[in-house]
Amino acid sequence: MGQSDIWTERYRPTKFEEVVGQQEIIKRVRSLVQAMNIPHFLFSGPAGIGKSTLALIIVKELFGDAWRENYLELNASDERGIDVVRQKVKDFARTKALENVPFKVIFLDEADALTREAQQALRRTMENYTNTCRFILSCNYSSAIIDPIQSRCVVFRFKLLEKKDISEVAKRIADKESLKLSPDAFDTLYEASEGDCRRAINLLQATASVSPDINSEMINMIAASNKPAGIRIVLDYALAGDFVNARDRLLDVMLKESVSGTDVIKEIQREVWNMQIEPEVKVRLTEKTGEIEFRMTEGSDEFVQLQSLLASFVLAGQGKAT
Amino acid sequence: MHKNLAEKYRIKKYIDIVGQEKAVLDVKNFLKEFPKKKGLIIYGPAGTGKTSLALAATLENDYDVLELNASDLRNRAKLEEVLKPATLQKSLFKKGKILLMDEVDGVTGSDIGGVPELIRILETTKHPIIMTCNDVWQTKLSSLRQKCKLVEMKALPIPYVIEILKKVAAKENIKRDENFFHKISIKSQGDIRAALNDLQSYHLVDSVVDMNEKRDVEDNIFNILKRIFKERQDFLTIFDTTKMSLDEILLWIEENIPKEYKNEALAKAYHALGKADVFRGRIYRNQHWRFLVYQNIFQSAGISYAKNSPGTGFTKYEPPKRILRIWLNNQKMEKKKTISKKYAKFVHCSIKRVMRDFNTLRPILKKPSVQKQLDLSEDEIAFLNK
Repeated sequence: MGQSDIWTERYRPTKFEEVVGQQEIIKRVRSLVQAMNIPHFLFSGPAGIGKSTLALIIVKELFGDAWRENYLELNASDERGIDVVRQKVKDFARTKALENVPFKVIFLDEADALTREAQQALRRTMENYTNTCRFILSCNYSSAIIDPIQSRCVVFRFKLLEKKDISEVAKRIADKESLKLSPDAFDTLYEASEGDCRRAINLLQATASVSPDINSEMINMIAASNKPAGIRIVLDYALAGDFVNARDRLLDVMLKESVSGTDVIKEIQREVWNMQIEPEVKVRLTEKTGEIEFRMTEGSDEFVQLQSLLASFVLAGQGKAT
Repeated sequence: MHKNLAEKYRIKKYIDIVGQEKAVLDVKNFLKEFPKKKGLIIYGPAGTGKTSLALAATLENDYDVLELNASDLRNRAKLEEVLKPATLQKSLFKKGKILLMDEVDGVTGSDIGGVPELIRILETTKHPIIMTCNDVWQTKLSSLRQKCKLVEMKALPIPYVIEILKKVAAKENIKRDENFFHKISIKSQGDIRAALNDLQSYHLVDSVVDMNEKRDVEDNIFNILKRIFKERQDFLTIFDTTKMSLDEILLWIEENIPKEYKNEALAKAYHALGKADVFRGRIYRNQHWRFLVYQNIFQSAGISYAKNSPGTGFTKYEPPKRILRIWLNNQKMEKKKTISKKYAKFVHCSIKRVMRDFNTLRPILKKPSVQKQLDLSEDEIAFLNK
């Protein structure tokens, strides 16, 4: 295991047998790797359940200490366009692998961030370098990946980690770092992490930086620091009829906390049910919220759309539905 | 009538110029003081007499005039070829020479070198250069502006337009009632050339003046907002009269809706704006420009009819603040981004995700050993400790 003081790295499994959960997938991948020849992979599943980790284990098993020279990691949502991705792939794939493995490995994270057109281009790239490179693509939803790419890959659907998995990881870390977790802390950690192991470990480390005696309340407090906290206040202003202040606060929250419009809308959708308004109005607001979320996925301006939603809340505050 | 009236009755002397006394004085002073400033820019809306004033100046002083239309000389090579020799030659018969450069708006910016070349010519010229343009405040003219004296000509007040129309009509033997002149004058919005053209055309066909058919004049954003929120007219052509992009206008409307509407009307207006934005998004996604017409209507009539009766009175509209705030925030958050970038690479996940979880990660990033491992700069560490 790594030497880093960042626990997600220090406790990242480096061997197949260390991985928690996903046992079926591990078994199959392992046999492929042991044959020293792997196909292209497509790993699908939500964040923080071991997709990147498995890719790293694969290259470490294949290349040993020389894995860094034979492994390229790209994140589609951070790279600017498919052309950048292609150029990087080209530069990397030009040279041959050094070890006795006849190919290098490229890990393209969040491949579903690519548009369909970009994926078509990617497919060509995959074909062009198929002699020298293997691709491991990861995505949240495999349905967002075009069929021609899916058919070129062995697809693995990762499952959400269960409570026992997260608890086991937490226990391992607690032993090594001499932490004391109260029994309910495990429950809270699992709930706050939503089955995302990376988030669970980060929460654990952030909480541990306050005290090594960890209870449920502390974890909740740390977890809350990352919720768009101001959203409730924004909605309260809107309900009170103060639209201008509501939208001012909203922009503030979005900018200062780097919260995207989609995150805001999720929070709003949850908050609607906690509000003191008629159930009938709640339903109408939820309908409107859903419409706004859809528009965002369609490429509308997030802030214009959110203002439209806030205006509906102003009406809801007066007991009227839109 | 062989000639169009606007050309036929173009004024020749200072004394014929009505309603622009200040501008006349400024031009006189400029020529008197030459070469203190070598260039003069007369600016103002179309048809207010900018070119006439410049021509009057040359005639009154018995100068030769070399007239150039900047739109014809769109690039540096041509400018140099035509204008430069002219600025250095002496006039053969007359006392002096004035270079008249109409519509400098048409000179290109730094791309082909139009404006810089014009400035170089200004520095070497032996003759005064008078330029005209509609909008002197556009950025591409900023360097030119500093080198020149500026004279503004405002749109002529309606009574002056009527006066001019009547004079011309008398000479042309056009006999119409008071109302006719009145309507043409109002329609012209202070543009004399337009008024004279209308006089000519309406008189010929002997028709009544159609007041709803407005002259195309460059409109500013405040007028557009006023038309949307209060006047409710010409929705189909409302955005044709401005150079501002639809998207920028959308931002202005977005900012100012709360100044005009409350409650139900507010909600309705933002719904319309939301719809306009949906179509805007679809245009960008699909490059389907036909959708522009929908964006257009939601963004004008959609906003306007959010309220039963249009607004009255004066509203002080404000420019959109959102873009500026985003920019300022990006400046402030620059460090957050660079830290996230270093961290993301180290832990194999996306920068976006790190930015989102930044608050949870902050205590971890505060550890000196982590900061060392990520190779954070002093600025970045200072940002974390803030």
